[in-house]
Amino acid sequence: MSTNTAMVEKYRNNFLKEVEANVEEGEWVKMCMQCGVCAGSCPLGNAWEHPPQEIFMMIRAGKREDVLTSDSMWMCTSCYNCIVRCPRELPITHIMHGLAHYAKRLGIQPKGNPTQWFSEVFWNNMMKKGRVNELKLGLSMYFKDGFVSGIKESLKNAKLGMNMQKTKRMAPMEFFGGHGVKNPGDLQKIIKKAQELEAARIEEHGK
Amino acid sequence: MSDIVASNETIVVVGGGISGMTSALEAAECGKQVILIEKNASLGGRVAQLHKYFPKMCHPTCGMEINLQRAKRNRNLRILTMAEVTEVTGESGDYSLKVSLKPRYVNENCTACGECEKAVEAEFDDEFNYGMSKRKGAYLPHNMAYPQRFVIDANIIGTDDATKAKEACKYDAIDLDMQDEVIDLKAGAIIWATGWQPYDANKIQPYGYDRYENVITNVEFERLMDPQGPTGGKLVRPSDGKEAKNVAFIQCAGSRDRNHLRHCSRICCMASLKQSKYVRSAYPEDGKVSIYYIDIRAIDRFEDFYKSVQDDEGVTFIKSKVANIIKDKDDNPVLKGVDTEGYNRYETPYDLVVLATGMQPSVDQNAFPIDIVINQDGFIEPDESNGAIFAAGSTADALDVNRSVQHATAAALRAIQVVNKAAGTGA
Amino acid sequence: MADEKKIGAYMCKGCGLGERLDFDNMKMIAEREGKANLVKEHDFLCSAEGVKMIQDDIDNEGVTNVAICACSRRAKTEAFNFEGVAITRGNLREGVIWVRPDTDEARETTQEMAEDYVRMACFESKFTQVPKSSEQQGRIDNVLVVGGGVTGMTAAIEIAKAGYKASIVEKSGALGGHLADAWKDIPSRSPYADPVDTGVADMIAAIEADANITVHLNSTLTKTSGAPGRFAADISTESGSTTTENFGAIVQASGYKDYDANQLPELGYGKTPDVVTQAELEKLAVEANGGPIKRPSDGKEVTSVAFVQCAGQRSDKEGHLPYCSGTCCLTSIKQAMYFKDNNSDVDTTVIYTDLRTPGAPGEDFYRSGQQKGVVFTKGEVSEVAAGSDAHSVKFKDLILNEDTEMQADLVVLATGQVPNSGPDLEMQADDKADAEEAGEEYVQEIPVDSILNLDYRQGPDMPQLVHGFTDSHFICFPYETRRTGIYTAGPVRRPMDSLQAKEDGTGAAMKAIHALEDAAQGRAAHPRSGDLSFPSFRQEGCTQCKRCTVECPFGAINEDEEGYPQFNEARCRRCGTCMGACPVRVISFENYSVDTVGQQIKNVEMPDEFDEKPRILVLACENDAYPALDMAARNGNHYSEFSRVIPVRCLGSVNTIWITDALNSGYDGIVLMGCRKDDDYQCHFVRGSRLAGIRMSKIDDTLEQLNLEPDRVATYEIAITDVDRAPALINEMAETVEKVGMNPFKF
Repeated sequence: MSTNTAMVEKYRNNFLKEVEANVEEGEWVKMCMQCGVCAGSCPLGNAWEHPPQEIFMMIRAGKREDVLTSDSMWMCTSCYNCIVRCPRELPITHIMHGLAHYAKRLGIQPKGNPTQWFSEVFWNNMMKKGRVNELKLGLSMYFKDGFVSGIKESLKNAKLGMNMQKTKRMAPMEFFGGHGVKNPGDLQKIIKKAQELEAARIEEHGK
Repeated sequence: MSDIVASNETIVVVGGGISGMTSALEAAECGKQVILIEKNASLGGRVAQLHKYFPKMCHPTCGMEINLQRAKRNRNLRILTMAEVTEVTGESGDYSLKVSLKPRYVNENCTACGECEKAVEAEFDDEFNYGMSKRKGAYLPHNMAYPQRFVIDANIIGTDDATKAKEACKYDAIDLDMQDEVIDLKAGAIIWATGWQPYDANKIQPYGYDRYENVITNVEFERLMDPQGPTGGKLVRPSDGKEAKNVAFIQCAGSRDRNHLRHCSRICCMASLKQSKYVRSAYPEDGKVSIYYIDIRAIDRFEDFYKSVQDDEGVTFIKSKVANIIKDKDDNPVLKGVDTEGYNRYETPYDLVVLATGMQPSVDQNAFPIDIVINQDGFIEPDESNGAIFAAGSTADALDVNRSVQHATAAALRAIQVVNKAAGTGA
Repeated sequence: MADEKKIGAYMCKGCGLGERLDFDNMKMIAEREGKANLVKEHDFLCSAEGVKMIQDDIDNEGVTNVAICACSRRAKTEAFNFEGVAITRGNLREGVIWVRPDTDEARETTQEMAEDYVRMACFESKFTQVPKSSEQQGRIDNVLVVGGGVTGMTAAIEIAKAGYKASIVEKSGALGGHLADAWKDIPSRSPYADPVDTGVADMIAAIEADANITVHLNSTLTKTSGAPGRFAADISTESGSTTTENFGAIVQASGYKDYDANQLPELGYGKTPDVVTQAELEKLAVEANGGPIKRPSDGKEVTSVAFVQCAGQRSDKEGHLPYCSGTCCLTSIKQAMYFKDNNSDVDTTVIYTDLRTPGAPGEDFYRSGQQKGVVFTKGEVSEVAAGSDAHSVKFKDLILNEDTEMQADLVVLATGQVPNSGPDLEMQADDKADAEEAGEEYVQEIPVDSILNLDYRQGPDMPQLVHGFTDSHFICFPYETRRTGIYTAGPVRRPMDSLQAKEDGTGAAMKAIHALEDAAQGRAAHPRSGDLSFPSFRQEGCTQCKRCTVECPFGAINEDEEGYPQFNEARCRRCGTCMGACPVRVISFENYSVDTVGQQIKNVEMPDEFDEKPRILVLACENDAYPALDMAARNGNHYSEFSRVIPVRCLGSVNTIWITDALNSGYDGIVLMGCRKDDDYQCHFVRGSRLAGIRMSKIDDTLEQLNLEPDRVATYEIAITDVDRAPALINEMAETVEKVGMNPFKF
């Protein structure tokens, strides 16, 4: 049984309870009073299929599939406008990330979502040496849809790249190896340990 | 002021708004000795500044006239204006109060003839109109002001204006040497009716009250509609005097919001429904109103009023807490947000935006002159340990006028119970 | 000295009056025409010295009637508040010099105005008496409380605490009302988080322990008569025994009954026992006694419950309640907590359109409900379909904008409160009139038992305001009912929760004590609080036409066997509507009568038709129009020098004889200013303004008989804020007179 089906089984379709138990800050969802100030305050609101307030209502209405497979919460850029304005002080940004993370854990996150893809690339990039390799990160972004479009994208951003070089934010030689922390192996060990702890916690308490 | 006789059978009422006046008059008319203490120069409080009441669309000054007639006739009632209670000690049936009196610079001789006002030149923001107009340095606070006696603004003391005012008075009513004074009073029971103040709209940054002239508060809107108000009753917007025909109301501007006031202020829904009628009757042909709300709390019989507004095609309801306001090139405030019923984004310009700011208790909970139980929203709780200090009206909860008067009437009885006991006639 | 009238006329030269007016002439007029026994002037009459001058005359010269010619009667009222004498005021400041320009051309007409006001003050004084006792006063320190629910119990306890007595008459066999049947109540104290004990048992114990409170259970009122200070009530038990007791005042706390949910079949009521009302859920909760609540159909522990708000309420549908019952949102939250507090796994969903939990307590309780996991869904329920196990609630989710449904073991309908206010007299009267018109026999559709059984000329119960709820109509005066000394409180007055009902019971208790104290001293209640005058009538002139008894807005006048009016002083509010109604003018007050006003009208100096100085009579309601004119004067608004303004207690007190006399004696125009009279009436005497409107519509006949233009008489609704409009209307009449010409009937 997949984690996803296990969860469906466990919460008898009471999605709100599932969210409360498994999503970071999920216990706040019930406190929303549907004023919509978060939805209106989001600078990327236009790009959202379901704004936060609607997602909260969908959770309460048991629309598990629609919520978890939605790309809406992946749109959040953590600007915190919603948190600042929420009259009920819901940590909306954190709930959005929590939902995204949970969907990914269940393996039902939307496929091909750029934010999600970027997060992954960023993580892998950073984990290699413990430092972000801007050049490789940039290039892997440009070439994500293939070689031709990669060249086009790279040319489009050539000026930005040059400027970054000038201000020493990016070095061309980074393409070969690049800088990193002293013992990246140790870092990876730390992260691995953290992941183990996290998994154990989820096993025990959910979330 | 040494002529005030007060004993443990006296009831002191703090605050001369509609609640305080009601408590004071009910008790005084039942034969109790009452001292009414008002911080401002005249009675009436917030309601005196309202244009109309919901749901009858009648005028607050009408009821005030009746209450003032009652006050003028009653020999058991003593009124102290420009007075504040600074200290309370003692216990139920036996309180001592210190009351600080600010100088009015005008004594009982004043006939309200108005000569001093004509004589002075300096002008100040008129508090009665929330600073939307000016008044002179010698002034009668408003048309219905009671005591009907002028006030000399402390800011002109020591200037030529003060001398001019004094010289203009034929009745020796101006006394420029008046000083701050502190008097001691005794009381058996105290009714606390200091009421509310509008929440400071400047604190709601996304709405730009401090930045946009055409974003005003609901209390200011009341003054705009008054034929004696700053615009002569014309519904025009502040920036350019243009007719405000397309008006938006933003509900819960500060209320039901943990960043501002946690509580629901109860009155604002009905106030905006009422004010939407102002707009529609000012411009019956092409006046338009949009009300942005979370829940319309037109409770009990008020539902009829809500329905009558809903039936008006010129009024639209949008379930949404407005996210923010920007300004377009024509000085129109533009409301941005999401209509939550079905998820529709809007970005709509209006001629004028009215913030339905909520009720905040007038007295800060840390500034009460005696230790009594006050809840986290700043309202006085009905608690045994409060002794014979009783809240009346919106000092106890966010209440509308009708319920404030109901509450104040009950408070009068609570005080009477204490002083009757002190007099040996109670239970 | 008592019966000998001595008029002192006092004129003030302050506030510019001395500079603007010729006082020698005015004094002469007061003496010669006004027949004042003493005439004095003072430079500053309201000063301590001026006031002392008058007081000395009262004390030493035996002045009984004081005519003060100075400022408006609304100004310096306290300074001129002399005890034991009749006071009249000639308004020279706000009425004359402030409304006229200070120019040479205006001097003559301004002086004429002032002189007329001196005449008017003197003649009013001449016909005014100091109010004396009616000898009807009584004092009974016992308040009748009708209804033993939370409102009535609170009223009784609070009355007793103040040192008075209370008697509760309760129809059922026990005190406590609806709240006694509830498992818990909404919280009354911060932090407003959890349901609390109802407190009913404590209240009953307090009542039983209080020697000053008497309780009549299984009892109703079969007859209530009298007036404040001397009510007599027949209290009858189910078994038929009746006792009569006397009371000083009455609190009617007859409460509400639950809306009949059988009218809501679409919401599944009656189709399965698992669809219950809020009241029925309380019973289930009481049975559960803190344990899991079981559903009625099969005794299964409830695992999911849906609350349908506004069931049969806020709706125009036939048989539904148009209003909001105000309490159901809080009740549903409380009841959802019954489930959640016992087992947080129970699913509780509240389906609402507007969540109405106002104030600080309301919002706290809402938040607490959410905290406990109660789900709130904005939606409109269209149907509840009974299932074999779970029941289906079909609704439109307004946020997600879709038709959907949910399953629940139990469905709770938030049905409303229906006031117990007795029969609706006005509606009955209308129906009866309709039936008579159609030539049918009138059959009362749904017979409703009277609550009070008043033996008043105007029916057995409190008049209803709207949707069956009783008075008051006034925002500033929530207790001022149309039956003096009887105060309704609690949900009979408007829908309310127990918190508000307790406040309301306490407020009504205050008013009841106020009423009995007033009655003991013969003082009027709102809005002429403290007025000691009362109506009297000359029986020999009375034609038993009954107009006074019918038209009294307060049901103050009964009829004796011969059809003569019987005035009940303590029920009277001193509006003078009876006086205005009386065609033979036999009703008067000591300080307000057909003469006090009529003589003012008659004694205005009437210039010759060819003088081109018309006279316009303005009769202005003393509470709104008169203050508006005062404020206009303060603002420097000018109005016609030909107008003469007389304040009246209410337009309802205006007797048409004043109008006829005025027209006959040469007035060229008449302006009547009263209060708004529609459903949102602002007339302080309820229908004085309306009655005046009806009477004045008949004035046209008089005008026709006299061959005068109908435009000469105009009636307006004036609000106190009509500061600019009121003078403008007077000026308008002046223009009309100029147009139609002078009245030829000048003496």
